[in-house]
Amino acid sequence: MSGEAFEAVVSAHHGEILRYLHRMVGHAADAEDLFQETFLRAFRAYGSLPGDANVRAWLFAIATNLARNHFRSETRRRRAYGEVRVSGRDAAAPMPEAETISRETGALVEGIVRRLPVRQRVAFTQRKIHGLDYEAIGRSLGCSAETARAHVFQALRKIRRSLDGHGLLPEEPQR
Amino acid sequence: MNDEPRTCVRIADDLLAAAMGESEPRATQRVERHVAACAACRRQFHEYRAVDAAVIALREGPDPSPAAALARERMETRLADLRQRLLRYRIFPSPLGNILVARSELGISLVEYLERGNSVRASRLRNEPGVEAVEGGEDLEAVYRELLEYLDGRRRRLEWPLDLRLARSDFHRTVLRATAAIPYGAVIPYAGIANEIGKASASRAVAQALRWNPLPIVIPCHRVVGTSGALTGYAGSKLGLKQRLLSIEGVPTGRETGAPFIRPQAMYVRYPGDREYCVPTCPSLETRHPMPLTRFASRDRAEAAGLSPCATCRPDLHPLSR
Repeated sequence: MSGEAFEAVVSAHHGEILRYLHRMVGHAADAEDLFQETFLRAFRAYGSLPGDANVRAWLFAIATNLARNHFRSETRRRRAYGEVRVSGRDAAAPMPEAETISRETGALVEGIVRRLPVRQRVAFTQRKIHGLDYEAIGRSLGCSAETARAHVFQALRKIRRSLDGHGLLPEEPQR
Repeated sequence: MNDEPRTCVRIADDLLAAAMGESEPRATQRVERHVAACAACRRQFHEYRAVDAAVIALREGPDPSPAAALARERMETRLADLRQRLLRYRIFPSPLGNILVARSELGISLVEYLERGNSVRASRLRNEPGVEAVEGGEDLEAVYRELLEYLDGRRRRLEWPLDLRLARSDFHRTVLRATAAIPYGAVIPYAGIANEIGKASASRAVAQALRWNPLPIVIPCHRVVGTSGALTGYAGSKLGLKQRLLSIEGVPTGRETGAPFIRPQAMYVRYPGDREYCVPTCPSLETRHPMPLTRFASRDRAEAAGLSPCATCRPDLHPLSR
């Protein structure tokens, strides 16, 4: 087992895993705890990871398991939901109108995603925010790629329905 | 709401996939044809596109925030601590029974005969303070192969990086390092090791240190015997294993009233510090201050250790008969 190889894993993935956990639990301190635990667990298991393993999918799976365990604690859950997500990108620069609309919609979407059932939330976040493939998402959720895809689609349907009436979607004549 | 025409229901998944840019070309065409004709689905399609655009805007680049940098720093600190403490182990079958081999990032830390069963529960790893043991480690496979070759007599050296942190004290580590230098096919009394490390009267402490040798076979404590030639002790009460390991190296052993011993008279000897080896009856030895001698199983073994035949007793011309 090579220490440098794991260094490379940390360097390549620490940022996205922290962001992912932050999105999942919504609470900065909790996200950081889970982030640390993810990499400690990964290091313990790294020695038995097959050489051709998808390291990224594996890290997301560890992070997801930890996040789901975290959700099982009801008090923490309440705290996570009670707090507004703190984000580093409070846009100061002016931006094109279309993008402004997208960002406003984005904020709404984030609120909706936070209230999705956890499996849909995991699948949606991994797919649409982090761009993982369905196979990888299936690993996190312990399901097939097909089921992972169904979770993402279910989440998208709910998001679309929830946004309906916010006037942020393009106007089209009603049926 | 179940008033949608059947086509709309059937195409719903493809429509969503097409809006996400994930559908097959043929399905995309089907969707395009349908939305051209169906206003409700067209609207849905555009809504999904809008959701997708909004979500893409949520994606972030690498987070340069100080909080993220700090989080990484704290994680690296904990990781460094874990790396210090973590041992990866595997348990392998061997001709000497199940053997547990463990390594840290620094090197091989533990070779252990598992008396009871085949799980880490029987290992001293359970009681080592500060150590965290996890099963696994692909590279231990190669270590195991070399160990088997060694036990089969096909390999004489185990040149692994070693981590002596499981030894109980600096004194123990000193004893282990001196023991590691005993050549293949040679034996030396406990007093000889005590001499080597400059503590001539510490034979008992040497024996105690070797009793806790975390790396038997690799650090060949089986090559350390009593002054009389009795094998004395090995890994608790595994004298049979000690005798077996010595036999692999060609050291002549026997048993007397059940207790195994080496046969000193059948072995070549070296006086401490000499670059020559002698027969045990060499007259030159009688004139010198008596010291614990290193004994070699054969002339080959002595010469492989870099020694040449003594000019007085000429073991090359008058070899020992077995």
